[in-house]
Amino acid sequence: MFDLHLSAEQHEIRDTIREFVTHEIKPVATKPARMEALERRPPAELLLKASQIGLRTLALSEALGGAGADALTTCLVAEELGAGDPDIAAVLVETSALSHVLFDQLMTPDQRSRFLPQFVKDDAAQLALAAHEPDTDTELGINYHRAVPLGPAVSCTASRTPTGDWIINGTKTFVPNAPLASLVAVQVSTDPKAPAGQGVSTLLVPRDTPGMTIRELDQNAGWYHGLRGDITFTECRVPAGNLLGAEGKSALSAGLDASGRGIPLVQAMNIGLGRAAYEAALDYAKIRVQGGRRLIEHQAIGTLLAEIALRLEVARTIVWKAAWVTDNPSAVADRSVADLPLHTLTRIYTAEAMHQVALDAAEVFGAMGVMRDMPMHKYVQDALIFLHSGMSAGDGKLRIAEALAEFRRD
Amino acid sequence: MDFSLNDEQRAWQEKARKFADEAIRPASLARDRVLDPAQTWDWDLFKKGSKLGFRTLAVPKEYGGPGADFVSQAIVMAELARGDSGVSKAFSQNWKWSHLIASVCSLEQKERFLTAFLADDTFVMGKGITEPNAGSDNRLPPEDDPRAGLKLKAERRGDEWKLNGEKCFIANGNIGKLFFLDARSNPNVNVKEGVTMFLIPRDTPGFRSGKVFNKSGWRFYQNAELIFEDARVPHANVIEQNAGASRLDKGERTGGDLFGDLELAANALGVCMSACESSLNLARSRTQGGKPLLEQQSVQLKIGRMNMLTEALRSYVMRVAWEHDQKLPSTNAGFVMNYSTDVIQEVTQLNMALHGAAGYTMDAHANKLVRDGIIWTHLAGDAVQRMKVVRRMAKSK
Repeated sequence: MFDLHLSAEQHEIRDTIREFVTHEIKPVATKPARMEALERRPPAELLLKASQIGLRTLALSEALGGAGADALTTCLVAEELGAGDPDIAAVLVETSALSHVLFDQLMTPDQRSRFLPQFVKDDAAQLALAAHEPDTDTELGINYHRAVPLGPAVSCTASRTPTGDWIINGTKTFVPNAPLASLVAVQVSTDPKAPAGQGVSTLLVPRDTPGMTIRELDQNAGWYHGLRGDITFTECRVPAGNLLGAEGKSALSAGLDASGRGIPLVQAMNIGLGRAAYEAALDYAKIRVQGGRRLIEHQAIGTLLAEIALRLEVARTIVWKAAWVTDNPSAVADRSVADLPLHTLTRIYTAEAMHQVALDAAEVFGAMGVMRDMPMHKYVQDALIFLHSGMSAGDGKLRIAEALAEFRRD
Repeated sequence: MDFSLNDEQRAWQEKARKFADEAIRPASLARDRVLDPAQTWDWDLFKKGSKLGFRTLAVPKEYGGPGADFVSQAIVMAELARGDSGVSKAFSQNWKWSHLIASVCSLEQKERFLTAFLADDTFVMGKGITEPNAGSDNRLPPEDDPRAGLKLKAERRGDEWKLNGEKCFIANGNIGKLFFLDARSNPNVNVKEGVTMFLIPRDTPGFRSGKVFNKSGWRFYQNAELIFEDARVPHANVIEQNAGASRLDKGERTGGDLFGDLELAANALGVCMSACESSLNLARSRTQGGKPLLEQQSVQLKIGRMNMLTEALRSYVMRVAWEHDQKLPSTNAGFVMNYSTDVIQEVTQLNMALHGAAGYTMDAHANKLVRDGIIWTHLAGDAVQRMKVVRRMAKSK
């Protein structure tokens, strides 16, 4: 069965978000300081409005108070938000994804009762996963197809007190959403003797916990979308009941897309960005007259726009497919879909294709394509950030190659 | 065949390399970060370079300049761009117009403008062609639409001309002391035939510069609006060789636009040299698992491609420079300009990919090179710039 019809509900959600982006996000996103990327911080009131229409809890199940959106629906929404403003999109998409993983999948009923009501009720509450540590690297390149555990070693530690409480010490950096988070899930080493990448546990740390200090990072100095922070834990104490899952066996060891088959949310945002560049170029090509006719009537520009549309369609197709497979994992089991790390494939193709889309769209604008107070420059810069952040294309290809070789590291 | 440089060419290369290492490079990233596009220029740096001869490099010996040949000019542009692409362009922009003065201006004009240009370290020049509604229309005028193209109006009033209109994106627009301006002296014929070129000194009554454009890259090098409101220009400032007749045929002289084509390619070469150096340094010094990145196959393949493309561009640039010196008619200048777009963008992208592998921050220099490289799209490598070269080639054969 091959069916690309969106459900009535998916149509409705997409239309609602498109409306929200047009009327609420775009007016903010197109302010000159934001286009020049001098002021990229998501405005608090906009995040509140987004929460009120359900974007913060989009993937959280309906039973727990969310919208219960499946993977494909969250990707549809991520594309719309990415077309509006990738920095605002990144905050909402992270919290929505984490809300499903933490509350629906990993918490015990007791933990849910302690943390969920406050999270659902407070429109300003965001979620963060504190995994990355300073000066660490995946070391995948040098260890490609080698039977050594992949780092990095987690140096942030948690030790148990006689009462069973955990004491956390250490530093995390570039944590998405940290400055806005009401609850932080932190990756800690609870077994100092374990080899790199093992003996890692996840602890839940509410925002006001003494010993946890969050410092917001200067967005313009970083190379990422959204808002990030450094978190320092100094003798930070949380009760035994804040251990998420089993000790030493964190389900979040490799982030949210450990299996290579996570939800391609960042890629959906990236497509949104490419679409925004495409729509701007198409509109301009229909109006601007040079060479005695509208730009779109010239072969050269027509061909360029066709290539842009082609890349967007191909990218959207693999993003939808990867998302659909996470909703329908049996499709891999019954060999309807190849057993490949689709999320990783999607990451590589989408980032490269959308970068080309942004460059081609900018070409349509001539010199106006490189001016900082015009949108095209920002689209190109955002496309570069998507291309060179998170997992690199080089690492991604090595991961795919290891999968092709049926190489298992563990 | 002989690829070696003569003593004079070698001397210019060493001088430019030293200036790039000692003066340009240390200032480059700070200038790139200046947020106000009108405040990016550095007069101290520029005057230092001027005293070394980089501003006036192309002024022929017979008029008191260094009279460097095209090979030397290409080498200097590349070496300066290795320090900072925008700084290199800020110097070489003046060469175009000193070529032009020397080749087409009257003796009286040469005396008036070239002498002043030679004597003053802060004398920079620019050329005004583009207008808000005439960019590609100037480069490839439509055959069937005589109204297309630049509109800045020039009307003769006895010994004076009255100019009205606006130019945009004009190089050195807000700091230049002299501009070469294309204006429409006959609105009833197409842009190739109805244009007259004027010499516009900064103090021309009725002329002023407007806003400085806020470019993504090439921050040092400023582009601005030029505004003419009943500006009065003496007839003595008309460049007679093409007044009221056809514009200079771009394919038949070695100055002007052909130089501009070589200029962008040579500048791109310098940017690529910088990217190659930077990525090799990184691959040698950054380690993974205790071993330099350079030991990894994927890193070697990227660095190999960057260097291969850069060396191919160098060969092509030097060939075109040599052809200019031999006065050989050729469309290679246009092709090397187009080609340099592909090379600078791929090489700076690969450099960024190598630097970006670490994740959350981006090397400021790698980022700058990419932003500088994107400028090539509309100047050197968009569809119009590529088709223009093909049409030139078809016509010449």
